[in-house]
Amino acid sequence: MAPASDRPTAPVTASDLELLRKFEPVVCYTKGEQFFPTDVDHYVKESSLWEHHPDGRDELMVKQGDLTLEKLIESRPAEFGAVRYIRFIEALDLAESARVLADQAVLRRKLGHYFHAGIGRLARGGILPRLLDGLFSLSFLLRGKVSAATAAAAELDYNEIFKEDKQYTYYGRVTRQNGWTMLQYWFFFCFNSWRSGFYGVNDHESDWEMATIYLYEEAGQLIPEWAAFASHDFKGDDLRRRWDDGEELKKAEGSHPVIFAGAGSHASYFRRGEYQAEVNLPLPGWVSGLIHSWNKLWTETLGQPAMNTFHIPFVDFARGDGLRIGPGESQTWSPVVIDESTVWVSQYRGLWGLFARDPISGENAPAGPMYNRDGSPRGSWYDPLGFAGLDKVAPPPQMQQKLTDNCAKVARRQEELEKLIPEKAAELQEKGARQKGMEGNPHLAKQYSALEKEINSLSAEVRNLRREESENSALLQSLTRRLERMKSGGQDDPRAHLRHLAVPDDPSQVLRFDRAAETWAAISLSLLLFAIAALIFFAPKYIWVGLVIILILFVVAESFLRGAFVQTVGRITLILAMLTALILFFHFWKWVIIAALVAMGISLMYQRLRELTG
Amino acid sequence: MAKRKKSDKKKRPIAVTIIAVAIGVLFLIRLYQVFEPLIRNNVFRTGMTGSLLAGWKLTALGSAFLSSATYLVLSLAGIVVLIGFLRLRRWSWVLLMAWTGVSLIISLVDYFFTRANYAVMASNVIIAFALNITDVQRIYGIRRDDDGSSL
Repeated sequence: MAPASDRPTAPVTASDLELLRKFEPVVCYTKGEQFFPTDVDHYVKESSLWEHHPDGRDELMVKQGDLTLEKLIESRPAEFGAVRYIRFIEALDLAESARVLADQAVLRRKLGHYFHAGIGRLARGGILPRLLDGLFSLSFLLRGKVSAATAAAAELDYNEIFKEDKQYTYYGRVTRQNGWTMLQYWFFFCFNSWRSGFYGVNDHESDWEMATIYLYEEAGQLIPEWAAFASHDFKGDDLRRRWDDGEELKKAEGSHPVIFAGAGSHASYFRRGEYQAEVNLPLPGWVSGLIHSWNKLWTETLGQPAMNTFHIPFVDFARGDGLRIGPGESQTWSPVVIDESTVWVSQYRGLWGLFARDPISGENAPAGPMYNRDGSPRGSWYDPLGFAGLDKVAPPPQMQQKLTDNCAKVARRQEELEKLIPEKAAELQEKGARQKGMEGNPHLAKQYSALEKEINSLSAEVRNLRREESENSALLQSLTRRLERMKSGGQDDPRAHLRHLAVPDDPSQVLRFDRAAETWAAISLSLLLFAIAALIFFAPKYIWVGLVIILILFVVAESFLRGAFVQTVGRITLILAMLTALILFFHFWKWVIIAALVAMGISLMYQRLRELTG
Repeated sequence: MAKRKKSDKKKRPIAVTIIAVAIGVLFLIRLYQVFEPLIRNNVFRTGMTGSLLAGWKLTALGSAFLSSATYLVLSLAGIVVLIGFLRLRRWSWVLLMAWTGVSLIISLVDYFFTRANYAVMASNVIIAFALNITDVQRIYGIRRDDDGSSL
């Protein structure tokens, strides 16, 4: 743990741009990445502006070539339910699609943009998640989708933009809240090619990613304390790492946090590696309820390890073996300072790319830094502290004072209680004595009853005060201990705030899958479909039994390759046993109940007789 | 020899005895199923009176012999598993669980398509649930003491 004095500092008088430059991150991309942070001006110039109306029409507002940042923010009334969006790639016909796909291949050969997944994501999950993955792929037939040709055209266009303006841009924002100074770095990409380029979940036009550095002020200097990177599946406290957590938060030249960006997704990670992202299926409420009940029975009653079957595994490759941008690297940043007065930030609430009509939004483009897709304000913009769970955390110099204040407040209350409790206790005893004196006098029954109520109420009050005193005593002890530790310079565990730590796949674990497992993962789903087709053709009479047997055989074969045969056989047998038990209960419920009652009777009798005989 | 002594010293939970009894019941049922087809075809009274095959197809006698032989193999396998199980061997747990799984599939197929054998079904259910008990899994080395998860 490095003491705060070892940290880089910047004077509080530094300009926003100087602050941003002082702590700007180094971003490491994965080899094969096609899109890097660029500026919005060139992107907008290459795009058109559209409006999707609630009746399903898409209306061209400003055509490609005419669109500028000024035209983007022009006031245009729209009806409720309308979606305004930028379109980077115009609709392509079949011939154009073929041409851009061919050109993309040529470009990749020229630039050496090759990506090898290595251990595929399909080999990292079981056969049921793979089956769901197949359904997920088929779901694109029903959902809106960004086509492969659009992705290819975006790649070609981005390269043209980059040829004109060879810069890597970030949009920096400096904001201050509750004693913290926050440096936000917003990165804009022309396209998110996670699905088409890296076997991920989705593609969409445009992408906004963000990292924030949290600084506190001490002796006229700003000192970094936390860094938070936007990432899939994580929120609040789990997004941030403390500056002195060197294992989690790498730094270049002492003051520049290092980000490992996911290939295609551009999600930010603290550590290089391959991360498993999971997409949970959007199941109806009653199905989720059933699954929850089943999981409870499975884990709590049957004592089995939890099964997370209804998710689809995806891999986010944040290898950091490709281009690196930032201080000390061959490629450096071109910063642009933004805030609420930057009109394209605050006045354009639409999407920054194609509205693909995807009901679950995965393929729709995101909105700008300040807004969500529905035009509502984005939490990370208006509440950057709450975004990383820091709204409850005071800057270190204030923390000690706040703790001292807390101690004083609790101590004051303890003093009050020390006086109040004896007073109330004495009053209670006095009333008790009076009540005792009334006993045996039926004509005082009314007063006796009223006094009893008073006594009960006062007794509860005294009990509560004593409990409060006892709790406060423990609290005061704990606060004082912490205060003493802080005064002596002791630090908390830098990861004490984390509930879920993003951990890359363990390479040794990944290597466990050999070539056979990979090949099986690639072909098993197709083989399963062929087997079902053969079953329907050759033995339609036994379709349901056949299906179950085929599925079991596939799962067992899978378990052999994954080294989980024992566990799988146990699980399958248990499920079959539960089904059989249900059948038996259906046929013999009367006998089962009789047997259960007799067994309970014998057991109770045995226990009671044993108690009786000592 | 020392290893055997060590395994013999392990405490045997009541569930192990229940499973052993269930295997015993299944063995008796299977034994009946070994003789039943042969009795039905009067093999014990009149001896072998016909051929087992008619061309490439099994005759009724052939079918009875095949059925009888299958159940004989199952019975013998049951005895081997039972011995291993009583000696608290890990392989016997795995084999028994797999065997119970297969037996459950056959029972379910029989239930839905031919004639249900409720005694076999009930025995299998008891064995499957008893094998799943944490203490039983622990004693056979299937579940570790430290993490409580299956291997």
